[in-house]
Amino acid sequence: MSRVRITLSINGESHELEIEPHWTLLHVLRDEIGLMGSKENCLEAECGVCTVLLDGKAVNSCILLAALCPGREIVTIEGFGNPEHLHPLQHAFVAHGAVQCGYCIPGMILTAQSFLDEIGDRRPSREEIREAISGTLCRCTGYQKIVDAIAAHAAGRGGKRAQAHVC
Amino acid sequence: MCANRMTVVGQRLERLDGAVKATGRFVYGADFALLGTLHGKVLRSTIPHGRLIRIDTTRARALRGVRAVITSADVPTTHYGNAIKDQTVFATDTIRFVGHALAAVAADTIEIAEQALQAITVEAEPLPPLFDPEVATAPDAPLLHPDWQSYVALPVIAREGNIAGRSRMHYGDVDAAFARSYRVYEHRFTTALQHAGYTEPRAASAAWDSTGVLTVWSNGQLPFEVQTTLSDILQLPTSRIRVVVPGVGGGFGGKLRIGVEHFAALLARASGRPVKLITTSEEELIAAHPRQASIITLKTGVSNDGHILAREGNVLVDCGAYSGSGPGTGAVALQCLVGPYRTPNLRLQSLAVYTNKVPSGSFRAPSGPMANFAVESQMDMIARDLGIDPLEIRLRNVVQEGDLGPAGEVLTSVSVEECLRRAADRIGWHQHTPGRGKGIACSWWMTTGGSSGVFIKLNSDGTVALNSGAVELGTGALSGAAQILAEELGLGLEDVRISTVDTQHVPYDYGAQGSRTAFSVGNACRAAAASMRKQLFDVVAAQHGVSAEDLVLRDKCVIVGNKSIPLAEIARAQYTGGGLIAHGSALIPPPAYDSARVENHPLPVWNTPSFHAHAAEVGVDPETGEVTIYRYVVAQDVGFAINPASIEGQIEGGVSQGIGQALSEEIVYRDGHVLNANLTDYKMPTSLDVPEIESILVEYPSGAGPYGAKGVGEPPCIEPPATIANAIAAATGLWIQSLPITAEKVLLGMRHKGKQ
Repeated sequence: MSRVRITLSINGESHELEIEPHWTLLHVLRDEIGLMGSKENCLEAECGVCTVLLDGKAVNSCILLAALCPGREIVTIEGFGNPEHLHPLQHAFVAHGAVQCGYCIPGMILTAQSFLDEIGDRRPSREEIREAISGTLCRCTGYQKIVDAIAAHAAGRGGKRAQAHVC
Repeated sequence: MCANRMTVVGQRLERLDGAVKATGRFVYGADFALLGTLHGKVLRSTIPHGRLIRIDTTRARALRGVRAVITSADVPTTHYGNAIKDQTVFATDTIRFVGHALAAVAADTIEIAEQALQAITVEAEPLPPLFDPEVATAPDAPLLHPDWQSYVALPVIAREGNIAGRSRMHYGDVDAAFARSYRVYEHRFTTALQHAGYTEPRAASAAWDSTGVLTVWSNGQLPFEVQTTLSDILQLPTSRIRVVVPGVGGGFGGKLRIGVEHFAALLARASGRPVKLITTSEEELIAAHPRQASIITLKTGVSNDGHILAREGNVLVDCGAYSGSGPGTGAVALQCLVGPYRTPNLRLQSLAVYTNKVPSGSFRAPSGPMANFAVESQMDMIARDLGIDPLEIRLRNVVQEGDLGPAGEVLTSVSVEECLRRAADRIGWHQHTPGRGKGIACSWWMTTGGSSGVFIKLNSDGTVALNSGAVELGTGALSGAAQILAEELGLGLEDVRISTVDTQHVPYDYGAQGSRTAFSVGNACRAAAASMRKQLFDVVAAQHGVSAEDLVLRDKCVIVGNKSIPLAEIARAQYTGGGLIAHGSALIPPPAYDSARVENHPLPVWNTPSFHAHAAEVGVDPETGEVTIYRYVVAQDVGFAINPASIEGQIEGGVSQGIGQALSEEIVYRDGHVLNANLTDYKMPTSLDVPEIESILVEYPSGAGPYGAKGVGEPPCIEPPATIANAIAAATGLWIQSLPITAEKVLLGMRHKGKQ
């Protein structure tokens, strides 16, 4: 199969790539660029561990063709805070004990950010948070401390919308 | 002494690996790859039972980009296994389940490897399959392993034909007690195959160096078992096999036995290149190590006031095609079939049986939830029949301090009554909401023994490196052990650095399994800390002309009178002598027991048992049979809560898995094929399926655990199926005796009941 040249904007950086047309964004992120924070599991959009932000909205990168992504802003977990300077939402996850094995957590955090951006300044109910993250499977936590973390972060936003900031 | 201040243990501290995981920088086994790696894939059988005639790999080998193709002809004909060495890398002459490995390929890309699998032709002659474990135990059943007698097995395991393990517990005169019982109840329960559901698939990378040493990067729970299993498979001494575990994305027992490490190792040897394998969801559901399906019959005789007089029980666990963890799982079911109840006369038997299905493993509290579902459902049926409140009948029967356990061991630190009372109080046991029902269940579980060793090293900045052979699965158990180490050395938790497990560097550990990690590694940390303290105090005492007994450790310093000497300073000074290192180990001997009560049981007596009770309130939709859990309460005796937040996380996650087993999870077989080998149709609970879980941490200190701790990780998934079944029964009057309790079963049951 012939490769195609594309340019992807990932975490604010431009990446020139030659890809197979059928490659998924997840494959390109992990295996071509080496951004391993987007995780791999079911590869059919059931588990949510591959979630990234595409123009600010959470998407499953395992079923999204990379060839469809030029001209769009992609944010992965690597562009969303780092171990020295956690994003406040990441800090909430750590502080509330929402991280166990952690494999679902990058996807969970980006899903939560997309949801919080969508609802604006409003404080979401726990039920709304549960609905928002229901596409991401977590086998360790029973979701409770994840909901705690998102709720606490949402309450602490002080009426300001948290933006996914690019490091 | 610093140990009494308790500023680190007992605190809700952030786990050490939280930030690196939340930022996506943590490296898991599935993320690890060597430069130039090939990608491996396994060809798996599509028939459940057959005679393998020929595998033709010619076309696959000829494909561009294919670097190695291997079958049983290319690997040593050796057997491996946990209790019984009954398994080979590939099917040799007999195919025994759909998913059985037949060949493996390494290629430049995954796509080429997949094409190569398509290009392999397999010729096999179907044999009559055996799917029903009860049929498999019949004397005239065909043998699935005609050579079973030639297999090497642990001496404790009793085998016979299709029975891969038979264990018994018995005492008293059961028949006489049944004869004088007010009533005798007999019920049959069934439970389903359940996948452990870790979100990171099993993965491995392997490479051989020029001296013939193999390194495998694994995401397994037990690197030392991977090492010995590879040693069996490859016929190499263990010292030539190095197993590194970069990080694990959940295991829950499903990653105890070897996963794909052996395929990676063999393909790497055949190709001369590093090879990585990662399993698909389909492979996970047809060929991983799920929780066994089981059939349990339980017969209990009681007095007219509900006291248990005798119990007879039989449990059949379906091992699938190979024994896996089945013999041990069946045996441990016996302790669970007693439950935390005074049972004066007992006769229990477990059978672990081969069938033509997926070989099963050791999912969290392996047989706990199955046996508890039977015991606690029946307890409620008895209570209902005798007109006794379900809480009250339990309180009349539970074991108390100093009672004997089923193996004749003396039970200490017994807290089940308190757990029951506190769970009942929290849920408001005696208050009823119309249209809803409340259920309660209790259990006990072991803290698994086995040894732990740790090395600790004082770093030049005054921090301490903790080298343990126990893998951090995600539970936070290693952070818990680090809290203990920090407490003992006057450090903050953030001053402990946990190393990655590498069998070349870390001391042996029995491994991250059986609710033992924080307990056992924690004890080893205490021992290592004592040694480190002594070394530090000896150094400082000699330098300052004081007695070591006058010294204390506080805030990363040794305190000498009014002087504080930083550990960093001591560490740097000691570098001239090779630095300060210490070793600590722990092995708690099992309690004394009466061997006459137990036959062929690999875990005849439980170490440091924990006790717990769960209570739930549910509603059932009369139109659909759908169950909604409104409230869920857990009262669990943890002995001492090393990190209460981590323990709550264990409880919440364990209950969530238990809710899955109770209501929705089942690997569904028809004619030997899995019908739901994907995450769309294999239904694990989402955030919408799990209620808020109310945890009560009961602390009856143990004598053996660090600061009195008991094992924590497995118990939370034991009681949910029984608790929910009993709550459904309270709401509908209907006991569903088969897991999972799907809406379909509830609806059909309600309709059937309505017609009666």
